[in-house]
Amino acid sequence: MLKGKGISSGIGFGNIVVLKKVERKIEKKTIENEQVADELERLHKALNQVIHETEIQMKNLSGTEADIMQAYLMIMQDPSLISETENAIKNSKYNAEYAVEVGFNSVIQIFENMDDAYMASRSRDILDIKDRVLGKLLNEETIDLTNLNLNTIIVTTELTTSETAKLDFKNVSGIITEVGGENSHTSIMARTHTIPAITKVEDATKIFKDGESVAINGTSGEIYVNPTEEEKQKLLDLEKQLEEEKTELEKYKNTESMTKDGTKVKLYANIGLPADAEIAVNNTAEGVGLLRSEFLYMDSDTMPSEESQFEAYKQVAEIMKDKEAIIRTLDIGGDKELKYLKLEKEANPFLGYRAIRLCLDNPTIFKTQLRAILRASAFGKLAIMFPMISSVEELRSAKQVLEECKQELDNENILYDKDIQVGIMIEIPSAALIADKLAKECDFFSIGTNDLIQYTVAVERGNEKISKLYTKYHPAVIKLIKQAIDGAHSANIICGMCGEAAGDPTFIPLLVGLGLDEFSMNANNILRARKTINNLDKEACVKLSEEILQMASAEEVEKRLKQ
Amino acid sequence: MVKEKITLKNETGLHARPASELAKLAGSFTSTIKLHVNGKTVDAKSILGIMSAGIKYNTEIEIECDGEDEEKALSEIIKGFENNFGEEQK
Repeated sequence: MLKGKGISSGIGFGNIVVLKKVERKIEKKTIENEQVADELERLHKALNQVIHETEIQMKNLSGTEADIMQAYLMIMQDPSLISETENAIKNSKYNAEYAVEVGFNSVIQIFENMDDAYMASRSRDILDIKDRVLGKLLNEETIDLTNLNLNTIIVTTELTTSETAKLDFKNVSGIITEVGGENSHTSIMARTHTIPAITKVEDATKIFKDGESVAINGTSGEIYVNPTEEEKQKLLDLEKQLEEEKTELEKYKNTESMTKDGTKVKLYANIGLPADAEIAVNNTAEGVGLLRSEFLYMDSDTMPSEESQFEAYKQVAEIMKDKEAIIRTLDIGGDKELKYLKLEKEANPFLGYRAIRLCLDNPTIFKTQLRAILRASAFGKLAIMFPMISSVEELRSAKQVLEECKQELDNENILYDKDIQVGIMIEIPSAALIADKLAKECDFFSIGTNDLIQYTVAVERGNEKISKLYTKYHPAVIKLIKQAIDGAHSANIICGMCGEAAGDPTFIPLLVGLGLDEFSMNANNILRARKTINNLDKEACVKLSEEILQMASAEEVEKRLKQ
Repeated sequence: MVKEKITLKNETGLHARPASELAKLAGSFTSTIKLHVNGKTVDAKSILGIMSAGIKYNTEIEIECDGEDEEKALSEIIKGFENNFGEEQK
């Protein structure tokens, strides 16, 4: 059995199809004068085929991806590239394949030698195009992704956007990739189409052979090659069990998010990409409590333009319709870097130049995003949330920039939602401690437990050595949560939570007891959370929370909540 | 032949997208259009030429147009630079 990281749950059985780059050999031939015209024609035919395919792919794309494809198209028709390549045929008398090598490589070299890391990495784009043109010249068969056999399990390094755009989903029963994270294109696409997927399987394209029979568990990340009857049975049982649980939870699609004694709460979804909003709606989320806007910045090679951001936010607004969708402004820095934004290495990145601090310091970046969100707010019910707020001054400065953006849009006669709600993340202890003051100056809170825990107990999230100390059950963390909720309520604003704790059935009773209004979680956990809430009694939860607040240790709290 | 100097005001530099817009625009004129930048001269109709010039924020660029529609080409291209080729309009 092999193991990777499960990124889209479910069980899949099928046969492997490996998408990998063919290893090819380019022969260098010298041609006769009379062959020049033929070779030129072959070159242009291959180029035109690739151009044509790219144009078709572009129809399914928008924003940054479409921009990249547009640049590809221009490169393929670039006069200097074409003349280099043609000259290799006309003057040096090379065959078309070798001429492509010569012509493209000369351009690739220019880029590779540039001192700008971004430009140097563009050489890969040209390499990509060269590969495709050579594939055409050599009449290589490429796997037709639009027409796959039933029960295909795709194995690849990482699915590219153009591959995803043509994938024949109904026949794909699983995806295995070598690289990619939870928010990669592959995983979001797999989750949207409920296809089990596993990533971080090293050398997958070398290990697996075409046609091999495999069974995968997208939840645990387990892969069985040529599974035995016993293994198959085990997975089938698991699949049945998952199905039953799912069916059991289905009935909570129609119930209200309300306790037995009638206290209503809101169940929202956390999403990482606009398309995830579909999953949120399918799971009956009552809104989006956190749209991490980082995908726009991480997936791009340049700072995303106002236009491409606008398109993405508009997509979310339109999918969610009259339901609220809270967009968190750029939360970069710390552990998340951007290749085109040169940030200095810091000794303590989590205590450093990140999120709102970085945005307030770079008004162009900040304003571009705020303008995009405001413009998109005309198409649905969007809200803005600032991350990493530690003081009233920061909130005021951020709101000031937002006001400037509104003013600009007013002057340009561009529509936006004038009543757009503005909230903040409560993820720094200082913010929780002055929650009552902050609440007077914004419309809602959302507690980010992941960071709140790390800043409260001084434990870095990713540090394995001290991971035992990182716990939401710490009485200090619970006190800060209470303080945030009480602070919000003192100013009659809503308090939500978008950390992982909000979706944990053992933690929900405590949160209900403390008076949390909105719970935002991974969309796949919403029905389970609603089931939990439907079976709670508010009064009992309040008693429970009072009991918990008296406790001295995380151990006691955890034991009591898991009782 | 007409020419004029401008300074790039696009904070992210002249990357793939604006470069492709510029090449497209330049390609719509019959005049030869050159950019003199960082001591190099590149063809403005070539996206690869533009990208390889590594034009960054605040770089000075001299645009040179030569041909029948040189006047129009120069003014349209300057206009393009002024609105950052549709990026981050302010």
